[in-house]
Amino acid sequence: MDDFEKRLKRDADAIEAEVTPQLRARIDASLQGIEPVRQVHKASPPVNLWWASSLTGLAAAVLVIVLINWNQPGVNVTPDETIADSRPKAELPTVPEVAANEPPMLDIRTADFTSPLEQELQNLQSDIEKARESVRKDLDFTF
Amino acid sequence: MLTDEQLVEATLDGSDAAFSELVERYQDRLLRFLMTRAASRADAEDAIQDTFISAYRYLASFDSRWRFSTWIYRIAIRNAARQRRPEWHDSDVELVDEADPLSACIAHSERENVWVAAKRLLNNDAYDAMWLRYVEDLSVKEISSALDKSPSWTKVTLMRGRRRLSTELAATPESAARRESYG
Repeated sequence: MDDFEKRLKRDADAIEAEVTPQLRARIDASLQGIEPVRQVHKASPPVNLWWASSLTGLAAAVLVIVLINWNQPGVNVTPDETIADSRPKAELPTVPEVAANEPPMLDIRTADFTSPLEQELQNLQSDIEKARESVRKDLDFTF
Repeated sequence: MLTDEQLVEATLDGSDAAFSELVERYQDRLLRFLMTRAASRADAEDAIQDTFISAYRYLASFDSRWRFSTWIYRIAIRNAARQRRPEWHDSDVELVDEADPLSACIAHSERENVWVAAKRLLNNDAYDAMWLRYVEDLSVKEISSALDKSPSWTKVTLMRGRRRLSTELAATPESAARRESYG
């Protein structure tokens, strides 16, 4: 603490300002009628409200899923009876007919996709066999 | 001896005696500060009463991370600002020395009290910052909190206030005479 700071402190102490008994009594009297404000904590939402919001969210999610599926083409969300009633029964193909007439597109596409891979596998196996033969020859030469 | 913060906790637990102890500890310090800020002793007494009422009422909002002195000085400064009567300064009527409570409560001395000079030279924020730093020994961070200013503002204000007062004190006849005596 330098001289300037000491002077600031000393001059502050020189200010004579004491609380008189009358002022103290006045302060005490004014505090008597005061009710302290308690800290207000943010109340958590009631359990019922939590359930209600959860159920509302769930219902909204189900509604969205239903609406999306409803609008998708080729997906039948109506009861079967409705379509069956709207079309003549003679035109409805039976399950065996469908299986016989329609080509198994899935199998063909699977074969198309897998045949190059099978060829590639055979080539790799052939290469491995050649490499193995080469190594065996090298070993024979070494020993 | 309980600390201020322990007394606050005891008050919150329902002890009126604990708050009475806090009043006892701070009443003279606060009144001295408010006497230097208020326009009259009556205003200073009103301000200190309002300060303790506000402190008691809102004690639950006191943040124990800060010192109690920082918090109560913040309240006192707000009350002092509310007590000010700017229309007095706007009027053409000049206050006589006897009306200034600060001059009235300083013992007669040949040299000017430095806080009288500070009140004349500095604005209220700078005066408060100087008082809290050099009389109450609050840190820059605590002063910033009490005055609701940034630490940078507080540092600059303290530096400028100190320089201004030092320059003023160095220019007084007493200082000049002392320099001459030192040769």
